[in-house]
Amino acid sequence: MSLLAVSNLTKRYRRGGKSIAAVDDVSFHIDPGETLALAGPSGSGKSTIARLVLRLVEPDAGRIEFEGDDFLALRAAALRARRARLQMVFQDPLAAFNPRATVARVLDDPLRIHGIASRSERPRRIAALLERVGLAAELASRAIHEISGGQRQRVAIARAVATKPTLIVLDEAVSALDVSVRGQILELLLDLQRQERIAYLFISHDLGVVRAVAHRVILLDAGQIAESGDARAVIDAPRSAIGKALVAAAPRLHGTRR
Amino acid sequence: MSRFRRFLRTPEAVAGAIILAALIAMALSASLLFPGDPQAIAGPALLPPFQDWSLPLGTDRLGRDVLAELFHGARTSLAVGLAAAAAALAVGSVVGTLAGFAGGFIDEVLMRITDAFQTVPSFLLALAFVSVVGPSLGIVVIAIALGTWTGPARVARAEVLSIRERDYVASARAIGMHPLAIAFREVLPNALPPVLAMSSVIVAAAILTEAALSFLGLGDPNRVTWGGMIAEGRTVLRTAPFLSIVPGIALVLTVLGVYLAGEGIVETTAVRRGLQ
Ligand SMILES: Nc1ncnc2c1ncn2[C@@H]1O[C@H](COP(=O)(O)OP(=O)(O)OP(=O)(O)O)[C@@H](O)[C@H]1O
Ligand SMILES: [Mg+2]
Repeated sequence: MSLLAVSNLTKRYRRGGKSIAAVDDVSFHIDPGETLALAGPSGSGKSTIARLVLRLVEPDAGRIEFEGDDFLALRAAALRARRARLQMVFQDPLAAFNPRATVARVLDDPLRIHGIASRSERPRRIAALLERVGLAAELASRAIHEISGGQRQRVAIARAVATKPTLIVLDEAVSALDVSVRGQILELLLDLQRQERIAYLFISHDLGVVRAVAHRVILLDAGQIAESGDARAVIDAPRSAIGKALVAAAPRLHGTRR
Repeated sequence: MSRFRRFLRTPEAVAGAIILAALIAMALSASLLFPGDPQAIAGPALLPPFQDWSLPLGTDRLGRDVLAELFHGARTSLAVGLAAAAAALAVGSVVGTLAGFAGGFIDEVLMRITDAFQTVPSFLLALAFVSVVGPSLGIVVIAIALGTWTGPARVARAEVLSIRERDYVASARAIGMHPLAIAFREVLPNALPPVLAMSSVIVAAAILTEAALSFLGLGDPNRVTWGGMIAEGRTVLRTAPFLSIVPGIALVLTVLGVYLAGEGIVETTAVRRGLQ
């Protein structure tokens, strides 16, 4: 059974009086421990799918099954409880945190909300989480704006794994980082996946990165699935027009190996 | 520290701060320097200022010490002004945050209520409220706050509308935080700066409204108020103008001080934010 099964997902937005389908009848699934990449040009609906899967916005039609349950049927407290299993990392690690927060508070929230650790136990848990993502425990007392972009994204990952999720949605999670930091963060993500069997919905416009980290890929075009399949097979030999265009536009695709 | 230094380099702000400090000193020292009832008879009636150094500002129609009244009046003015402004800012921020964050029906209802309050001139609202409920310090505070919370509510709502679309609010939802916790822990503190920037104007207006209510005899009768002193002095305006002029000057200086100091703070913090 798959971890996440999305079927016929549709989301329309009104723009200038007429409604446009940002996501149009999209179906896919993700297995436990698997990385599924979503790629496609800007405005093709990648972020909208991420937000739909996380129920940050509600779909107009379709089904989302998560861990065998009808995810869209969950209400209020039941939904908040289930959110522990399904986490997200955003593109801009500065915008993703309350500007007044400290690292400790950011990591304390999920532990407290989901009752994962008692108050006295939490500082130790926070230190362990920081260590898990390759940061010094002393960082806990710093304000979010006092640490580097790469460190911030590690904190975002620590927050996401704090509740031991089975799926993490990564919306352009490495796109804002410079190349050397990007490599380290990807390494960390792969390491976490190997050890804890976390599945990723990996959104990226960088086909080189997708080819390196994803098992399967879905290419989106104007809210619809243009092509999908094994990541390397699709990127090495795209069949759809949008796939060919994306590959042609991607710099230095060759030589990246997963 | 540099914020403080920048504040010091703004002459208006420093002038405001000095006036405000003097005022606070007056309010705090009132019962030390002038113990006992400031409304008690202290000497002959209508003694002009600078005649008798035990009564430096003279006495009023009933022989009460004007300087003592001035000090105790500072206390009322400041207390009412600050309390009313704090209440207005608190209520406004909470209403604005709830409206902006909840959206939909709740927003609609809260904003219609805000409209309703805003269409009535705030002074009339205060006047009506005190006339109906009766004058006491607490009631005057509520009466003033009733007419002033709508401004902060609108500003807070506008700010919240932009903040609620930010990623960190989505993050808070994604980790399963309760919507009320998101509204009041994540959103409200970040929506506060522009709301707090209104506080100097609100405090100044509240002090003036309190004075006006007292002038009309709707202040707390057990307290000395500057508005009440001006009203008292009006009856002998020809013969003893100082009785109205002294509290009038105090009122003008206070409002000016609050406004200048408040603007100075906003200015220096805004500059700082602009530089970042
Ligand atoms: N809240 C919204 N209101 C109106 N239209 C929206 C909204 N969110 C997204 N859209 C529209 O939906 C479409 C898909 O947007 P989405 O953000 O999902 O694209 P994307 O693939 O993530 O693009 P990018 O690579 O630039 O991040 C776009 O046309 C966008 O303008
Ligand atoms: Mg996007």
